[in-house]
Amino acid sequence: MKRPLNSMQFPLYVLLLLLMGSVIIPLTTEKFNMKAKTVILGTLVLSWGMMLSTFINVLREGPYLYNIGNWGPKIGIQFNIDIFSTSMSLFILSLSILVIIYSLKDIEHEIYFKQISVYYSLVLLLILGMVGITVTNDLFNTYVFMEILAITSCAIISIKRKKENYMASFRYLILNTLGSLSFLFGVALLYMVTGYLNMSEIYIRINQVWELYPTNLLLALGLMLTGLGIKAAVFPLHVWLPDAHSTAPTPSSALLSGLVVKVYIFTAMKLLFRVIGLEIIDTINIPSFITYFAVVGMIMGSVFAIGQRDIKRLLAYSSVAQIGYIFLGVGLATELGLSAGLFHVVSHGFMKSLLFLSAGAIIYKTGKRDIRTFKGIGYQMPLTMILFTVGALGMIGIPGLNGFMSKWYLGFAVLEKGQPIYLIVILLSSFLNAIYYLPIIISAFLTEGEERNIMVLEDIPKTMSIPMVLIASFCIITGFFPQIVMDVVSRAIPTFL
Amino acid sequence: MNIVKPSRKEGTKKTFDYFSINCVLIFLVAAVSTLLFVASTLTGSDGNVIGSGSIQTTIGYILKLKPLPLFIIMFPLIGGPLEALIGRKSENLRDSTVVDTTFITFIAILAMYPQVSRGTMNYFIPGVFGHGLSFRVDMLSFIMAATSGVLWLMVTIYAHDYMGIEEHRNRFYLWMSVTYGGVLGTVLAGDMLTMFLFFEIMTFSSYMLVAHNQSKESILAGNNYLYMGIAGGLSLLLGIMLLYAYTGTLNFVPLASQLAELGWRKYLITGLFVLGFGVKAGMLPLHIWLPKAHPVAPTPASALLSGILIKVGAYGMLRVAVSFFVPAANEIVSFGDSLWVVSERLGAIIIWTGVITMAIGVFMALQQSNMKKMLAYHSISQMGYIIMGIGVASYLGYNGAMGFSGSIYHIVNHALFKALLFMVVGLVYLRTKELDMYKLGGMWKKMPFTAFVCVIAILGITGMPGFNGFASKSILHHAIIEAYEYGHPSFKYAEFIFTLVSAGTVCSFIKLFKYVFCGACPEKYKNIDGEKGMMDLAMGGLALMIIAIGQAPNYLLNQFIIPATEGLTFDPAFINEYLVSMDFFNAKDVLGMLWIYLIGIGIFILGTKFDLFHLHLPRWFNIETAFYKPMARGVIMFSNNITKHYEIAIIKSDIIIYTCVLTGIIFLLMKFV
Repeated sequence: MKRPLNSMQFPLYVLLLLLMGSVIIPLTTEKFNMKAKTVILGTLVLSWGMMLSTFINVLREGPYLYNIGNWGPKIGIQFNIDIFSTSMSLFILSLSILVIIYSLKDIEHEIYFKQISVYYSLVLLLILGMVGITVTNDLFNTYVFMEILAITSCAIISIKRKKENYMASFRYLILNTLGSLSFLFGVALLYMVTGYLNMSEIYIRINQVWELYPTNLLLALGLMLTGLGIKAAVFPLHVWLPDAHSTAPTPSSALLSGLVVKVYIFTAMKLLFRVIGLEIIDTINIPSFITYFAVVGMIMGSVFAIGQRDIKRLLAYSSVAQIGYIFLGVGLATELGLSAGLFHVVSHGFMKSLLFLSAGAIIYKTGKRDIRTFKGIGYQMPLTMILFTVGALGMIGIPGLNGFMSKWYLGFAVLEKGQPIYLIVILLSSFLNAIYYLPIIISAFLTEGEERNIMVLEDIPKTMSIPMVLIASFCIITGFFPQIVMDVVSRAIPTFL
Repeated sequence: MNIVKPSRKEGTKKTFDYFSINCVLIFLVAAVSTLLFVASTLTGSDGNVIGSGSIQTTIGYILKLKPLPLFIIMFPLIGGPLEALIGRKSENLRDSTVVDTTFITFIAILAMYPQVSRGTMNYFIPGVFGHGLSFRVDMLSFIMAATSGVLWLMVTIYAHDYMGIEEHRNRFYLWMSVTYGGVLGTVLAGDMLTMFLFFEIMTFSSYMLVAHNQSKESILAGNNYLYMGIAGGLSLLLGIMLLYAYTGTLNFVPLASQLAELGWRKYLITGLFVLGFGVKAGMLPLHIWLPKAHPVAPTPASALLSGILIKVGAYGMLRVAVSFFVPAANEIVSFGDSLWVVSERLGAIIIWTGVITMAIGVFMALQQSNMKKMLAYHSISQMGYIIMGIGVASYLGYNGAMGFSGSIYHIVNHALFKALLFMVVGLVYLRTKELDMYKLGGMWKKMPFTAFVCVIAILGITGMPGFNGFASKSILHHAIIEAYEYGHPSFKYAEFIFTLVSAGTVCSFIKLFKYVFCGACPEKYKNIDGEKGMMDLAMGGLALMIIAIGQAPNYLLNQFIIPATEGLTFDPAFINEYLVSMDFFNAKDVLGMLWIYLIGIGIFILGTKFDLFHLHLPRWFNIETAFYKPMARGVIMFSNNITKHYEIAIIKSDIIIYTCVLTGIIFLLMKFV
C-alpha cells in the first residue's frame, strides 16, 4: 500500500485532537478570551485539515479498515475509512466550524459567562461523538459514541439555566437513554448469536443467523431501529425534539438540528445495509415500514409547524418533516434513494443551520421570537432576513437552491421504485412548507413594523454574518451545481448495497 | 376623501429633465431600429442594412453570437440589483438606467432574428442542475421574447412618472428587472427544467410586484397569487418529473409514440401540465388570483402582468401541447392517425375550458365598476380566446395550424392593447386617484391624447378591421369554425359563444369609454393636471404598433408566425392553402365584425336600461368563497387545532408512544418468524 502510515492514522488523530481540545479549554483559561478561541478554532481547523487529507487520500487510493492499536476485529475497535465516512465527517466538521465561528459572539449573550469555556468543551466532545459514530465500524463503539452524544447534547441544551431548558433536557436525557438502551439491548442480542461486534464480521455471519435464530435477529432489529428512531426524531418518536431544539442556545440548536440527528441516520443506514444486509431486510419488509413512518412524518411535521408561533419551535418541527424526506430516501433502499437521502442530509444540514442561525441573529438583535412580531424586521436586519429567505426558499424547494435538487433526486428515486404516490406526498409537503415559511418572509419584508420601514445597514457582528453568508452561498452553489455533492455521495453509496 | 399624496414630481415644476431626453432618444432609436428590423426581415438581408467597415463587422459578429440568449437573460437579472443600487443615489439616473438596460435587451432580442430565421438557435451550458441549462430559440420563442421586449421598454418609460405615487421604488425596479429575466428565460428555455427554473423565478419576483403596495388588499391578493403560483409550480414539477421518468427526455420533442404506451399516466401528465400553466394563464377555475392581483399592483406592473406574465402561462401550454403530445412529423401520414388521440382529447378539453373562460370573464367584466378589475376580467376573457386557440391547435392536430397561429397572434396583440388600456387607466388614476368608472367623466377634455389612444386600444381589443385585434380574432374565428367542420359538431356552440363574447367585449368597452371619458366632468376633477409627457410617449408607441399591425396583418403572420409552425408537426399543405397570403379584409369577416358591434351596442343599451351591470351574484357562484377559501381555512384550522389539542398531549405521552412503537414494530416483525 502506497499510503504513508501516518496519514492512515488521521481519523484517530482527529478524535484524539478533539478530545484534547475539550480537556484543554476549561483548564487553560477561566475567562473566555482570545486564547480560548484560538484553541477551539485551531483544534477544529486542524481536524478539518486532517479529515480533508484523509478524504482526498481515500478518493485516490480507495477505502481501508483501520484497527486501533492493531487489535484484531474480534476484540479491537475498527474504523471504516471510506468515501462515505470521510465525506460525511468532513461535512460535519465544516458545518461545525461555521456554526462555532458564529457562536463565538452569540453565546456570550445566551449563557452565563463563566460557563462559556465549559460550553465549548462540551461542543468539541459533541463533534468528537459525531465524527466517531460516522467512522466507526463497531457496534459497541457506536453505542459509546451515542452515549457521549446524548450526554453532551443534553448538557448544551441545559446550559442555559432556565426552567424550560431543564425540562427539555431532562426529557431529552430520559428518552435518549431509552433509545441508547434499546440499541444496546439490540447489540447484545446480535452479539449473542454472532459472537462479533464488528459490523463487517456480523455481516459475514448474518445469513446463517437468520436461518438459525430469526427471533433474536428480529428482536434486535426492532429494538435498535426504535432506539435510533427516537434519536433521529422519526415522526411519532420526535416528542423530545421541539422542546429541546427550541430552548437550546442558538448554536446548539443549529448543531443539534443540522448534524446530531443526521448521524443517527448514518447509524441506521449502517445497521440496515452493512450489518443486516439488503437481502434480509427486504424479506422482512423493513424498507417499506420506514417509508410509512417517513411519509407520515413529512406531512405531520409540517402540519405541526403550521400551528407554531415561536420561530425556533417552528424550525424544529420543520426538521421533523425533513427527516421524513431523508428516511424516505433510505427506505427506498435503492442506489438513487440512498444517494438522494444523503444529498438531503447535506442540504438540510446547511439549510436548517442557516435558518437557525438567522433566527438566532434576530433573537440576538431584537429579542423577538414570536413570528407575529416579525413585522418589518426585514428592514431592521436586511442581511439576516435575506439569508433566512434563502434557507426558507430552499426548504420549500425553489429551483436554484439545494432543497430543490434534493426533491428532484428524491422524486426520481421514488419514481424509479414505482411509487408515484410518494412523489405527490413530497410535493404536498413542499406546499405545506410554503404555508409556514412564506408568511414569515412576507411579514418581514412587506408589512410595516411599529417604526417606519427604513432600510438600515446590518449591524449584527461580522463573526455572525460571515458564517451565515458562507452557508447561504453553499446552498446556492449546490443548488445550481448539485453534482459537487452528488458525485461524492453517489460514490459513497455502493458500499451500502 | 381623496387625499393626494405629495409626490416627488409635483414639488418640482421641471418636467423635461435628462430622463425625458434619454427616453425620447431611446424611443426614437428603438423606433428606427424596429423599422430597420422590419425592413431587413422583408428583404432578408440579415440586418446588414446600415453601417460599413468596422461597424458592419461588429454587427455581423453580434448577429452570429451563440450565447446571445444567455446574455439576454442575464442582462436584466444583473441589471436589477445594479439599478436598485443606483437608485439610492439618484432616482432619475436609476430610471434612465432602467430604460437603457431594457432597450439594450430589446435590441439584443432583435439581434437574434438572423440566427433564428436560419434555424433553431441552441445554446447549452453543461453542469447546471446536473442536466445542464439549455436554451433553444425558435420563432415561437422569438415572437414571445420580442413582444416582451417591446412591452417592457414602453412600460419602463411609462413607469418613471407613475411610480412617483408609490413608495419603495428601488425595490420595484429591482423585482421588475428580475421578472423580465424570468420571463425571457421561460420563453427562451430549451427544456422543461430550464423553463421551470425561470418560471419559478418569475412567480416569485412578480409576487413582489403584486404585493408592492403593502396595503392589506395587496398583501392578500399577493398571498393568493403566490400560493396559487406555488401550487401551479408544484403541479408542473410533478408533470416534468413524471415525463422525465417515463420518457427520459426533457427537451421539447414529439413524444406521442412513447406516451401512447403509458396508459392512464399520460393523461395525468397532460392534466398536470395544463393545471400548472393554467394557473399562470388565468384559466378557469384557476383564475381567482387574477382579478385580485391586477387591480392592486402598481399600474406598470398590472400592464406587465396582463401583457406578458399571463401569456407566459399560455406560451407554456402551447409549447407543451404542440411538442410533447403530438407525434413526430415522420411518424404520421394524415390527420386521422391514431397517435393523435392524446392531443385530440387534450384539445377538446382545452377548447371548452377556453370557451368557458372567455364567457365567464366577459360576464364578470360587465359587472365591474373598478376599471382595473374590469380590465383584469377582460384579460381572463381574452386569455380564453388564446386558450381556445391552443385547444384547436391541439384538437385538430395535423390541421391545427390555424388555432396555433391564432393564439400566437392574439398573444402578441393582446399584450399590446391590454398594456395600453392599463396605462390609460393608470394615467387617469394618477390624476384623479379614482378607479371607479361611475365616479369619473369628461376626462377627454383634460386628457385628449389619452382618450385618443384609449379609442385605438378599444378598437384593437374589440376587433375593428384595421386594428390588430381584428386579425387575430378572425384567425381564431376561422379556427373554431374548422374545429366543428373537421371535428365534433358540438363546437358549433363554441363558435356561438365566441361571437357573443366578442359582442360582450364591445359592450364592456363602450361602457368604459362612456363613463370615463365622455359626459360631464365631476366638480372635484375640474382642476387636475392633464397629460404627462413620458407616459404619453409610451402609450403612443403601443398605439402605433396596434395600428401598424392592424394595417398590415399579413406581415406578422407571414414573417414570424408561419415560420414558427415549421419545426412543429403541422400539415404544410394546409398552411399553404389557408394561412399564407390569407385575405383578412374579406367581406364575410368584416361584416361579421359589424354584426358583433351591433350586438354589443344592443347589449349596452339593454344593460343600462334594465340595470344589468350591477347584478348581485349569489355567493356560491363565486368559486373562491365556494371552494378555495374553505380549503385554505380548512388546512390552517386543521393544523392549528391539531397543534392546540394534541401537541402537548403527544409530548407528554412520550414513553407511551415509545412503548407502542416498539411493541408494534416487534409484533409486526415477529410474523416473519
